[in-house]
Order: sequence, then C-alpha cells, then structure tokens
Amino acid sequence: MMTRGSWSLLLGPLGFLLMGLGVLFLQHSGGEFAVERVAGELSYLPWLLAVIFLAVFIHALLLHSRPQPDIWLFPCVMMFSSLGIVMIARLKPELLIPQLRWIIIGMVAFVVVLKFGKVISRFVQYQYILGLSCLLLLCLPLFFGTEIGGSRNWILLGSFRIQPSEFGKILLVFFLAAYLSDHRQVLSLPNLRLLFLWLPPLRFIAPLLVVWGMAILMFVVQRDLGSALLFFGIAVLMTYMATGSKSYVFLAVAFFCVAAAVSYTMFDHVKVRFDIWLDPWQDPSGTAYQVVQSLFAFGSGGIWGTGFAHGHPELIPEVHTDFIFAAAAEEFGLIGSLMILLTYVLFFYKGLQVALGCRTEGQILLAAGCNIVFFLQAFIILAGVTKFLPLTGITLPFVSYGGSSMVSSFILLGLLVSLSRKEQKNHG
Amino acid sequence: MGNRMLKRHVLQAGAFLLLCVGALAVYIVYLQFVVADGLARDPLNRRGMQADAGIQRGMILDSDGRALAQSIQAGTRSYLMGETMAFVTGYSSSEYGSSGIEGYANRELLGITDEMSRMGPLAQIFQSERGNDVKLTIDSDAQQAAYSGMAGRRGAAVVLDMDTGAVLALVSSPAYNPNYIDMEWDSMVERQDSPLLNRALQGLYPPGSTIKPMIADIALEQGITDAHEVFDCTGSLDVGGGNSIREGHGEVHGSLHLEQALVKSCNVTFGTLAMRMGVKALKPGFSRFGFDRTVDGELQETASHLPDYPALDSGDIAQVGIGQSTLLVTPMHMALLAMAMANDGVVMKPYIIQQVTSPQGVLLREAVPRKWFEATTRDRANLIGGWMEEVVQKGTGTAAKVSGIRVAGKTGTAENPAGKDHAWFIGSAVIGKQRIAFAIIVENSGDGGVEAAPIARKIILSLDK
Repeated sequence: MMTRGSWSLLLGPLGFLLMGLGVLFLQHSGGEFAVERVAGELSYLPWLLAVIFLAVFIHALLLHSRPQPDIWLFPCVMMFSSLGIVMIARLKPELLIPQLRWIIIGMVAFVVVLKFGKVISRFVQYQYILGLSCLLLLCLPLFFGTEIGGSRNWILLGSFRIQPSEFGKILLVFFLAAYLSDHRQVLSLPNLRLLFLWLPPLRFIAPLLVVWGMAILMFVVQRDLGSALLFFGIAVLMTYMATGSKSYVFLAVAFFCVAAAVSYTMFDHVKVRFDIWLDPWQDPSGTAYQVVQSLFAFGSGGIWGTGFAHGHPELIPEVHTDFIFAAAAEEFGLIGSLMILLTYVLFFYKGLQVALGCRTEGQILLAAGCNIVFFLQAFIILAGVTKFLPLTGITLPFVSYGGSSMVSSFILLGLLVSLSRKEQKNHG
Repeated sequence: MGNRMLKRHVLQAGAFLLLCVGALAVYIVYLQFVVADGLARDPLNRRGMQADAGIQRGMILDSDGRALAQSIQAGTRSYLMGETMAFVTGYSSSEYGSSGIEGYANRELLGITDEMSRMGPLAQIFQSERGNDVKLTIDSDAQQAAYSGMAGRRGAAVVLDMDTGAVLALVSSPAYNPNYIDMEWDSMVERQDSPLLNRALQGLYPPGSTIKPMIADIALEQGITDAHEVFDCTGSLDVGGGNSIREGHGEVHGSLHLEQALVKSCNVTFGTLAMRMGVKALKPGFSRFGFDRTVDGELQETASHLPDYPALDSGDIAQVGIGQSTLLVTPMHMALLAMAMANDGVVMKPYIIQQVTSPQGVLLREAVPRKWFEATTRDRANLIGGWMEEVVQKGTGTAAKVSGIRVAGKTGTAENPAGKDHAWFIGSAVIGKQRIAFAIIVENSGDGGVEAAPIARKIILSLDK
C-alpha cells in the first residue's frame, strides 16, 4: 500500500499556502512585530487554521477509507485553492476571509457528497426530473435575475449573491449522463440520413437540442458568454463520448457557428468581444483595456516572473476573479504559469483514470462529465485572458474568488472522488 | 456496444482537450518568452511608472555635474532649470507618462537594469533604494543662452560638438515647466503654440536658403558647375509654366561666381543649378547628407519630409534648390548639415547621455562617440565651409560675427503657409579647443540674418569661457 508516503501529497499545497501568506505577512509588517499590528494582520488566522485542519482531515479520510478512492485529486485541488488564497491575500486582502470561508463551506459540502456518493449517483435514474430542474435553475435569472458586471446571471438571496449557472452545470452533467447512457443505443444507431449526416429520429435528439438552445439563450439574454461556451462544450463532448458519432459534433459545431455569426451581427456586446480578440490594439485604453493590461502582465512577468508581491497585477480590472491567472503569470513568470497548467493536466489525467475505472455506463459518463467541467472551464478562461480565444468571463476553478463557483466545484469534486471508489481494487 | 467503446470515446474526447491545452501552453510560452520584452516595454504598459513608488529617482546632471533634475526623497521631483531644460530632462508624471531623458532613461534612473529584469524574484535582492544618476552632454550655459535668445518666440536651437556628436544644447520654445506638468497639462494641450512639442527634434520646417550649401555640394560633385563659372542674376528666374522665382527684397546680383552666390544667397543661381542637376542628382544628394535617416534612441527625431520626386516639374525642382517646395526638415538635421561642412564631410552620431553612474559612484555606462556617415569629401567640405565663413564675414550672416573666433554660417528665410517667413541660421564655430555646429530657427519672425544669427552669437559667447 502507498498510504504512508501519500501524506507528502499535501506537503506541496500547504507549504505553498503557508509560505505565500508568510511572505505577505513579513512584507506588510515591515519588521515591526507589535502585538496589535500582528493581530490585525493575522485576523484571518482562525479561518486559515480551519482550512488546514479540514484539508488534513479530508486527506486522512481518503487515505483510510476502504475501498480506497483516488488520493491525487484532492491534493491537486488544494494546490489550486492555496494559489487562490495566496493571490487573493495579495490582491484583495479584504476578500481573503470570505474566500477562506467559501473554501471551508466547499470542503464540508465535499465531505457530505462523499458520504452519500452512492445515493447521489443513483439520481441518474431520474433523467427527466434532472433535465427539468436544470432548465428551471438556469431560467431563474431570466425572471428574478440581477445584473452584475454586465451579466444578468445572478440571484440575490438576502445578502447572498448566487450564480445559478454554477450549480446548473452539476445538474447538466447529471442529466446528460442519465439521458445519454439510457438512449445510447438509439442515438448511436441512426436511421435518418441528412446529406452526409446520420441522425436518429428527432424525438431522441430533441433534449440535446434543448440543451444547445439553452446555452445559446444564456449567451444572448444573460450575456454570460463564458457559461454558455462551457455548457455547450460539455454537451457536445459528452454526446460524443456516449455515441462516438461525429455527425453530432459536426451538427453542433455548425449550429454554434451559425449562432455565433448571427449574434455577431445582431448583438453589440458579442461583436465588441470578438473585435477585441481580433485586434485589441485598436482601442487599448477603451474596450480592450482589460485584455491589453492582461497581456502586459504576461509580458512583464517574462520567464522568471517579477517575484511574488513585486509585480503590478492590480492594474488589471477584476484581477481577483477572471484574471487571477494573469496575476500569477506576472509574479511567478512562465515557470509558474506552466506549473499551474501542468497541475490542471495532472488533475484531468487522474479524473480520466477515475472515469475509465467506473463500471456502469452512467457512472463512466458522470465521472467523465465532472472531469471535463473543470478542465474545459480552466481552458476557456485561460485562453480568454491570454487572448488565445475571445474573452468570456468565467472563474478559474478553485482559484478565482467566488462563492458559488467554489462550492459547486467542491460538490463536483466530491462526486468524482466518490466515483473513484472501486468495489474491488485491481491496482494501486 | 459495450463499455469498451464508451471508454475509447472518453479517451478520445480527453485527448482532444489535452491537445487544446497543449496549444494554449505553446501560446503562453510565446507570450512570456518570445514577445515578452515588447509587451513589458510597451509605452501603454504603466508598470514602469508604478515601479517609481518606493525608489528615490536618480539625478539628471549637465556636463559639469550640475543637477538638472533631482529627487530629495522618493516620489518628489524637482527640475532646477524648469522651462529652459524642459525638452532635455522631459517630465515624469504618474498621470501623463514621461518624455525626454526621464522617459528614455526611466529604468536607469530607477536603478533597474535589463540584466536584473531577467532575474525574476532574485532581482529584488539587488534593487537599491536610490536609482542611478544620468549625466548628460548638455552645457547649461549654452542652453541658457539659446533659450533666452528665443525670448519667448516660437522656435528651436540645436548645438552639437563636432568632434563627438555630443548635444551641447537642445532648445525648443515655448516650453512647458516640468515642475508643474500635472497641474498645467490640460492648458498646455490646448495652447495653439504647442508648448509640449519638441521643435528641435520633431518640428518640420522648410529649410529655405540653409539648404544651399548642400545644393552647391551636389552641383560640384556632379560636375555641372565649378568655382569659376559665372552666373548672371537678373533678379528673377523663369522656371517654366509661366512661373518664376525671385530674389528677396527685389535684389539683382548681376554677374557672380558660386562663392558669391552662396554668400549673397542668390536664389537665381541655386534655382538654375537645381534645374540643371534634376531629380536624378537631387535624390542621392539628399540621402548622402542623411536626410533619409533619423536620429533615434535617446533623441527621438521625426523623419524629414523629402520631396515627392516623380511628381516634380522643373519649377518644383528649382524650388527644392532654394529649400522650398514640399521639402521639410528638423532643426537637428540642419545642424548635421552644418557639421558636415565644417568637419571634413564627416557627421558624428548625435547623443545626449554622457554616462550613467550608480549611487556609489560606479560608472555603469559611458557614451562612445561614433562616426555616423560621410556626407561629402574633405575637399568639397573645406571649399564650401570656407565660403560659409565669408557669409559671416561679409555676407548675410554678419550678425553672428564674434571677433577672434572662426565662425561659419548660412542664413535662411523660409517662406511658409503660416505667415511671416521662418528665420534660420545654421553654422559652426571653433571656440578654443571646442568645435561646435548649430542650427537655429525662429518661426515667422522674418529675416534669418536679423532674427536667428544673433542667437548664434549669444551661444558662441556663452561657450567662450
């Protein structure tokens, strides 16, 4: 067994966390260690200790439960969370305690999901209930939504702000896994020929069309381009995984291109985003300001970075949410940004292993779906802030500041880890 | 279809996503390695200015080591000669960026070197709290003389050391006061006489008669005339198409050699020569004298506007010969023309930063004078240079005469669409061991020999110490 040595997996994330916060503490205190000053500076300490305690507790839980679940996924996530905590402490200190609190809530949710994982994955039977509640959740902001930061995808509950789309993606993965595993046979044996495309009867692909249409709706009405792209990507990739049919992919991509072209001509906000991507230097101080500032951050970081807390990522608006990667790239350099990317790849690889180790179709699709959510979401925002693709605002999973995103990500992680428990171990 | 097929498709989808992220990784390498320096130095990147906050900026000094700009503590900056040195020191503002030496040598003044910026976090160890001092080639006395000579009129003056190319004075008038740049920015931007424009390097003017030494040089080089040919000036020259060019003040020069034509600034003779040589000789002539090059780096010069050669008719060519038509040049470039004629045809590359020293007094960088190009031969330069001495002795430039000092020059009175003629004076002087070349322009003030030449005299006297 590898359980004893596996404690070292937490060493990296927690070491990074403590060192990062230590550097900031020394920098802010400036050599003065008066009691009041230190106390004010370290007001986050109880929350931090709770995070560390929970992390150790969860890792112990994973190491000692039988059958043993995957023990790599959680340390990867702790690495992301540590990076997020350290960067937020550096960029927006006033949001540090809320971020720690969200991580704690997320971790608790993770433990709960892990505990009832078997029960939860049985929800897969109720596909239409899942589909309908997903639809309902996503449509909520249309009626009760509030516009924040240009996107009408928030709901205010008292003093809480919730982004339903963050939780909608969990239901979407569930629905797709349920629907696709149930209808795989029909969907894979098409009998309708349309030019060179083979398609099953309309009533079987109708739910898929609804999902696609919903993504487009979010795109246009709620102006939530990032979530729309994510939803669409999840739907297409999961459909392909279930059926292996390239006709669906072709159809989806064609559908997407037409929708994109239409919205480019019809909606100004889409046109602006796209034009910025084509040439940000047209209006570097106006509409393209954020992207241009982000590019400057990458350039100023260079290979080795400016050094933690010695760069100027605060010049980028909204740096603590969508653009947190640009801040890390400036201060940790190319080395740092590739490390972060590599950790996401490791995380994805381990998740893929989980999916391939599952037994039933529903579980395979569910695990693969959860896994894709993280990776695709990371790709969309990283490609956006580097101007690799047009920018669509969305959080970097586990790193960016944001409560809804943090909690929903931990729930998905809980699902993935619970699916990694094999009844009988064949390796490891 | 079993789970095997399903898992295969899961792997395929996974591989596709990994491929996307792989491409993204390559692109990030491109951003942070290949184009990183360009992005880091982009003028819109405000990080350079932000670095200011905690560092006491180094001093800017003149050639005698007198402070022109200094910071007693981090975050403050005072410019000891104010407007007089505005376009030498430039300004440094958190709001409006920076210009001049403050802009060009920003990293040196902050104590950041290129080597350090590649060391990442390690650079923090070597960062000192006080930046480096930048010592310039500027002679404050000559600068003061030139600026007060302008007396608030619009114009510019450039004074160069012929042996090295060092800039001794760089004046543009009117000037802003770098001490109050943040307060006065809005009114400066709105003013009609553009006090933010560095006329010495970025002002474009018709050179008028100051171009004539070069036309004489091209004519001699082409062999279309010699020092002995006799021209006949009737006061007017028919250039075809019903147009003619005339002498200033309705003068008639009569019979004269090329030397006298230069001394008296005879338009008829030089119009004749230009038409005789044509575009085929003018074009290489302009490039021989460096008009297709610009001084860059620490002295950001605007490119000269050369005539649109293919479109020139004979009348336009004659106009080019007397420095009119669509030809536009900077005062800096006219100083280089004067240098060529007094320096055996050799033009030294202008520079303004003499040395950079660390706060501990360690010399970090020292300028090395460099020959830039050869405009003409030693013989022709000496011949025409001699004629230019005559201009000052008994021609149009007597106002620049200083007894006991060899002064050469050429006046110019350039017609322009903005109003009264621009007054030009370019030339050279040997003051003890120092040999200088200069160009002076006073916009819309009238005759070059009357308005600009006396400023040259003031500059020469200020250097005769």
